[in-house]
Amino acid sequence: MKGTLVVFRSDLSDIVHSRGFILICAITGAVSIAAVVVAPMALRDWLATGVPWEEARPMIENFVGLAASYVPLLIIFVFTATWATDPLAKEKARGTLESLLATPLTAKSVWMGKTLSIFLPAYIIGAVVTLAVILSMNLGAITPATGQFVFLPPQGFTSFVFLPLFLFALVSLGVMLSLITNPVIGQTVVILVGVILLQVIGQVSARVLWLLASWDYALYALAGAALLGAIVFYLSRSLNKEKIVLSSKGKWA
Amino acid sequence: MKDVITLEGISKHLGQREVLRGVSFATQQGDIFGFLGPNGAGKTTTIRVLLGLLRPDSGKATIMGEHVDRDEARRKVGFLLESDGLYDNKTAEENLWYYARIYGMTDPAQRVDRVLNLVELQDRATDKVGTYSRGMRQRLALARAMTHNPELLVLDEPTAGVDPSGQIDLRDIILNMAHKERKTIFLSSHNLDEVQRICNRIAIIDRGEIKLYGELEQLRREMSRNAVEIETTEAISPPLADELKSLSHLGFQDGEGGHLSFLPRKGTRVPDIVRLLVDRGAEIEGVYAKQTSLEKIYSAIVKETEPS
Repeated sequence: MKGTLVVFRSDLSDIVHSRGFILICAITGAVSIAAVVVAPMALRDWLATGVPWEEARPMIENFVGLAASYVPLLIIFVFTATWATDPLAKEKARGTLESLLATPLTAKSVWMGKTLSIFLPAYIIGAVVTLAVILSMNLGAITPATGQFVFLPPQGFTSFVFLPLFLFALVSLGVMLSLITNPVIGQTVVILVGVILLQVIGQVSARVLWLLASWDYALYALAGAALLGAIVFYLSRSLNKEKIVLSSKGKWA
Repeated sequence: MKDVITLEGISKHLGQREVLRGVSFATQQGDIFGFLGPNGAGKTTTIRVLLGLLRPDSGKATIMGEHVDRDEARRKVGFLLESDGLYDNKTAEENLWYYARIYGMTDPAQRVDRVLNLVELQDRATDKVGTYSRGMRQRLALARAMTHNPELLVLDEPTAGVDPSGQIDLRDIILNMAHKERKTIFLSSHNLDEVQRICNRIAIIDRGEIKLYGELEQLRREMSRNAVEIETTEAISPPLADELKSLSHLGFQDGEGGHLSFLPRKGTRVPDIVRLLVDRGAEIEGVYAKQTSLEKIYSAIVKETEPS
């Protein structure tokens, strides 16, 4: 645990002080501001047409649920794509990873430290942006027009707990694959799963309006997290220093 | 004397290739142990086994009695690998503090200052490592290896790519570490001169096998027992030189001018060599016993195992 924390703190500091982080924060900030401004405007216009609350409610809940799912997903994918591949490939090539592994640190503590350093800032930024978007939709459009505040408990659990758990498992899978194979493989797996997930959520929300606001959806997210977590746990049993060293540059020297 | 490193019958395959074949040797406390071998001989793989980075297929590796996989063993080792493993975006101090924390040091400030002093980098302590020269990086990597005050230092080609004055500095630092800090040093190197100057014990590895192992002075004495220089009145003819080279048991080394060097194999007598030369028309002026350099020992061992 101590080793994980040491790696986490160092990597987190590197990420936070990198140009990539500033760039991602700037882009995320710009997109969030746009979302915070545009989403309430669109809702306001729609609610101004006089649509009855009973008819509008499932649509709005679905819309909020979509925002609460997409925002953390997108931010975590951007973070994983940025820090789980190229920097790890450089660490392998420059030998910093091999030097780390030659210390008393275990392969698993290096893996977890790196995973947490990518996941936690993404989670925090994702949560803040999600909250901002939900608040702006409610306070900027829904509450003034209907007197309601739309963000149901299942949506809260899904957005801030279950979906992040799934994403944590996905990031840890991506980092593990980057450590023991070519980092591009780790990146590809994460992006592939991400794209499929975004597609599935988008398609399902269009067909079953009530789903994203339901406990069913929250439980699907939890089950997905548990399943992916179990797969990652199973794969992690074979994670060792030799695999990481041999997947790095100069393995046959 | 206590054994610090003990490797017993270490074998390792990487893919289909057998990279180490029953590698065995030991180093004792206070040794500066030179580990020599051509590229691809298995030096780096041996070091990786020693540091617990690769698991041997068979055999046993221990550091001060602890299996190399154990935490206790790794805490006793400081290392400098082929790549220095330093973070360019961190300062020298930050690099050392990071490793100090990994080794569980709670207040490493004094120790970090001390090792930076030892490698004479205290003035550049707050500079980013990305701005350092190759020699400075290697010195810092040595400091990092020393941060947690280990008993053993494993150094893989510490002077590779460093300019001559930097090499001298590094050599002095290594000697300081060995003598003043009383560390045991395992030095893998291509630089025979460096090994000859600072090591007291060596092993030569080739094609994954230890070909020669022991105390350097004793090996030199043993090898010199047979080494001989024969002076002829004139330089020998190229066909005769070729013939001497083809007779590998003679251990013909070189024959510039009228000075012929031989490192005959066991069972080959010097009078037989002299008779052969006389039979081929050479006039002998003198026959002298010769002190063998590490370079000669190395080339004799490595050439002997080259495929024909």
